Amino acid sequence: MDYHFIFMHLFNGLILGSIYILLSLGLTVILGTLGVVNFAHGALYMLGAYAAYSVVKLFGLHFVVAIVICPVIVGVIGILLEKFLISKLYKLPHYYNLLLTFGIMFFIQDAIKIIYGPQGVPFNIPRFLGGSVDLGFMLLPKYRLFIILLTGFLSLGVWLFIDKTKLGAIIRAGTDDSEMADALGTNISRTFTLVFGLGAALSGLAGVIAAPVQDVGPQMGMNFLTGAFVVVIVGGMGSIGGSILSGLIIGELITLGIIFWGPVSTTLIYVFMAIVLIIRPRGLMGRAAFFE
Amino acid sequence: MTNKGLKISVVLIGILFWLGPAKAADTVRVGVITVLSGGQANNGIVDLRCAQMAAKDYGTVLGKKVEVIERDHAYNAGIANEKAKELYEKENVDVIVACPNSGAALAVAEQALIHKKPFLASSAGTSDLFGKRCNRYVIKWGYNDYMLATTVGLWGAENLGKRWYTITSDYAWGHDLLKLFTAALAKKGGMHVGNDMVALDTADYSPYILNAIKAKPDVLVLLNVGPDAVNATKAAIEYGLKKQCKIIHALLYEQMIQGPGVEIFSDDYVAGPWNWKVGYPGAKEFSDKFLKAYGERPNYSAAGTYSAVWQYLEAVKRAGTTNPEAVIKALEGHTFSDMFANPGYIRPEEHVEVQKAYLFKVKRPEAVKEKDDYFDIVGSLSVEEAYGPPGLFGCKMKGF
Repeated sequence: MDYHFIFMHLFNGLILGSIYILLSLGLTVILGTLGVVNFAHGALYMLGAYAAYSVVKLFGLHFVVAIVICPVIVGVIGILLEKFLISKLYKLPHYYNLLLTFGIMFFIQDAIKIIYGPQGVPFNIPRFLGGSVDLGFMLLPKYRLFIILLTGFLSLGVWLFIDKTKLGAIIRAGTDDSEMADALGTNISRTFTLVFGLGAALSGLAGVIAAPVQDVGPQMGMNFLTGAFVVVIVGGMGSIGGSILSGLIIGELITLGIIFWGPVSTTLIYVFMAIVLIIRPRGLMGRAAFFE
Repeated sequence: MTNKGLKISVVLIGILFWLGPAKAADTVRVGVITVLSGGQANNGIVDLRCAQMAAKDYGTVLGKKVEVIERDHAYNAGIANEKAKELYEKENVDVIVACPNSGAALAVAEQALIHKKPFLASSAGTSDLFGKRCNRYVIKWGYNDYMLATTVGLWGAENLGKRWYTITSDYAWGHDLLKLFTAALAKKGGMHVGNDMVALDTADYSPYILNAIKAKPDVLVLLNVGPDAVNATKAAIEYGLKKQCKIIHALLYEQMIQGPGVEIFSDDYVAGPWNWKVGYPGAKEFSDKFLKAYGERPNYSAAGTYSAVWQYLEAVKRAGTTNPEAVIKALEGHTFSDMFANPGYIRPEEHVEVQKAYLFKVKRPEAVKEKDDYFDIVGSLSVEEAYGPPGLFGCKMKGF
């Protein structure tokens, strides 16, 4: 076996993992805090990509501007969704919101089809991130390096925010016992709105980042969504560290599958999920409140 | 039931029976099954519009008006089966055309045999339609998978290089193409240096591109369509593979390029039976007319649907009746010339319409001067080369 080749693949697997981490961060924050299984997450990711297209191609602005603006746009849409739709169903069983977000997903997809057409839109890697860097063992596209770095910073930022800030403490308190937090004088419904907005924004950002390397079309969120759910479940629902760890593992598992036997690569992650759920139902770094 | 009620019912049923055949006799009814909803709807609508345009352009046949009745199969074989039944039985159509998706087309072919009415399959590629599962009522029109794979295989091995790597969509269509394609490649002494089977709807193709880079191919063949083709091509560009080798697509046409843009496909190759620049009389006029009416150019599959409707009506005229057996006899062994095929010939022994095949190269963005003007014609293959000898796919044609 060619070790150099395998090493190159494993390194590339880190990048695939990064994309999964980007997508699952928002999902896990929403799931852990609000207990909402957000099926519209893939659609919000797709919205991020279309927002980037609009900002860069239609308004002629720089890609960096898109990275800043588009998550805000998607975040605001998320806040509106939570405020006027999702928050109304918190008191009902979980599957009400599951159905609602499922419906929102179709609504967003069809809205995009009506506005931009069903065939997708063009989006290529911006010039300043084109080309590749010679790492000695492989030629790494600059854009992939950019994805790794951005994911690193973002993961650190989200973790610091939840773990070290006052607002983060309120979010954690709300997750543990929202009624108690409410009784102690924090406005928990506003916090929840904010969290959903944050999750949506993260998803939108993932969409912006993925736009140059993927087909930007109404269905684009669907391909990654199931994978992102696996990442969240394996990592432990609501655990940011868990999502990062399991995102990397999933990325490497898919890669290993491809090296040794292609057709098994997509199945492998579900087998892994099943094993994790049997041995440790709460996920790698999840808290015991879920499932145990 | 009262006596009066019974009388009314009898009269009403009588009227219905009288109206049914009368309605059918007034017009020649052409059924179109295609995809009008979901992600592929933009391809399907072009198919339908071509059929409608052909019916309108042709005018009347045997003094009867031509009517087009469309049904959406949402790219689903089960629905296609139901819709075919509905069209043949309830709508009483004389013929069904188009029907993208090979599984769906095979289902419609079964219905054609059951109802003993013609089906001109212009929009699905499987060679089973004129191979193992051929029947007397079905004619495969325009492109087919064998012709696409053989044309790029034979022409490419001579003109693009000898070392070939394939990335294949892991379902029936991909497997089929891979088999046909490697056979063609072997004929010209090409070397197949590796293949990856990739699940449908894969978002990140970078690991497969790394595999391909390692094999150092002269040519990378992408046996996939839609988002998979786009994702694979984008990864090939990103990892610099596109600079090291040529890329061939199994299936690529105008409607698939409009969305992701021509830039990512520039300099790639693809085969096809037709393009508006083939220079056949009427080809450009047809395409221009469609562009003016609908703001885009028809692809070769949809142009094939236009030709299928037109040649069906011509056959009705020659036969002097819409009787299915008579029309099919008028089509078998017939040679014709229209905007799509010049000449086209319908092989009686396996019911496939054959014509010259072309190799297209995708233009660079700056060379695209008109709407949907994406291809340059860089080569062509004769009927014998592109379609193989008759009976290659084991069709045993039965009588009516």
